[in-house]
Amino acid sequence: MADETNARRWSMRITYVGLCLLVMFFHLLPLSTVPRGWAGPDLLIALSFAWVVRRPDYVPTLAVAAMLLLADMLFQRPPGLWSALVLIAMEGLRSSGRRSRQDGFALEWMNMAITLTVITVIYQLILMMLIAGPPPLTLSLMALIATILAYPVVVLLSGVLLGVRKAAPGAIDALGHRI
Amino acid sequence: MARDRGHTDDYKAPLRRLLLGVLILCLAVLFLLWRIDNPRVERFRAQVIDQVMPGFGWAMGPVTTTVNIFRDFQSYQRIHEQNQELRRELQQMRSWKEAALQLEQENARLLDLNNVALDPRLTYITGVVLADSGSPFRQSVLINVGARDGIVDGWATMDGIGLVGRISGVGANTSRVILLTDATSRIPAVIQPSGQRALIVGDNSSAPPIDFLENKDLVRPGDRIVTSGDGEVFPAGLLIGQVAKDPGGRLRARLAADYERLEFLRVLRDHGAQRVTQPSALITPSEVPDSGPSPEDAEAAESAAELANGG
Repeated sequence: MADETNARRWSMRITYVGLCLLVMFFHLLPLSTVPRGWAGPDLLIALSFAWVVRRPDYVPTLAVAAMLLLADMLFQRPPGLWSALVLIAMEGLRSSGRRSRQDGFALEWMNMAITLTVITVIYQLILMMLIAGPPPLTLSLMALIATILAYPVVVLLSGVLLGVRKAAPGAIDALGHRI
Repeated sequence: MARDRGHTDDYKAPLRRLLLGVLILCLAVLFLLWRIDNPRVERFRAQVIDQVMPGFGWAMGPVTTTVNIFRDFQSYQRIHEQNQELRRELQQMRSWKEAALQLEQENARLLDLNNVALDPRLTYITGVVLADSGSPFRQSVLINVGARDGIVDGWATMDGIGLVGRISGVGANTSRVILLTDATSRIPAVIQPSGQRALIVGDNSSAPPIDFLENKDLVRPGDRIVTSGDGEVFPAGLLIGQVAKDPGGRLRARLAADYERLEFLRVLRDHGAQRVTQPSALITPSEVPDSGPSPEDAEAAESAAELANGG
């Protein structure tokens, strides 16, 4: 029993890293080199947020940091800033997810939306202050809204396909720790 | 057991928080470092991409091809229409071909008469597009030639017809091309036949606006835009595109390169290109243009003044 749970935890961690790499892979495919004028959802963020609220033990901080930094590097973003902000946001979500385990989904969604908006604004402000060429506002706004809208889908899919659901209150893991 | 659990929790939570703090600190330091010493961190980024891309590369080709096949399949729906269109174009092309052949012969004769050797400096290296920028905020592509093939930052990149972009970021096996449509792209250009100088300023749209134009009245939609070679950023005379006017009355460049499908790119070897080597270095012209009289004139004027004073 203990081994099984542990094995599942590690396999889900590997799944998380794999999913992140898959998302980046599809982003990088050279399918459209014409400027699109619209921005899709940041699935990396939606995935990380959804999982950290449900099962924080599936998304170890180190793996998240590595994936986000890799995304920063690959997508030509200023390295480090977005990753740092997302890590901070995830820490907030992690603790609030622990506190509000019985709350409904609407509340969680709102919480996620507010958090993401706040870090997006901070990101834009810092880049503006350092004159580092902040991304176009309309595009960032579009990406923000798309990510918020994509969140329930990501939650649903990871629940149905991968079984990432909130642990029942008082559930314990293999070693007897509270999750 | 219970005590044990409490014990592990005791050291686990602070340890995790410490790890998180250290990670965030590292990331923030990396960001600041990027802001202060940009070329170094960008070189590091090029190396990281160089390491990661081969891992993706093996799957990228097949998946891209599959998606493109599906897209082509959609276009079969209007195959009849396309066929008619192609026939019409073919008809036009035949007449053009005739004209081109005659001109080619004439050109060959004239070149022969003048004994002209074409400029051998502009040789090129061809690379395949591996990946795009991956985000809607930046317009760039990654190609599969790099420092190993002698690629240098700042070289011009073309597809078969027109200018595509500028090399920025070279790894050992890959290099990044910042497209003309990227918001950071600024290309000095000259508009033919009026000879007006301008900048082609990328703004994340498919037709970058033409900026810093001296006299708008001399430029008409349809004029050719070529690189001017100002500041030795690019060799002169590379085709960029045509002038077009958008509904707002702003002049834009309709790019000659086929941005819909960038597959193979030519990187032009340009040994005159200025390079940015130091963190705070700038690309400047060797002499400031139009800053009053030229040095010789100034000297002449000075000596004349001296003579006048002496006399």
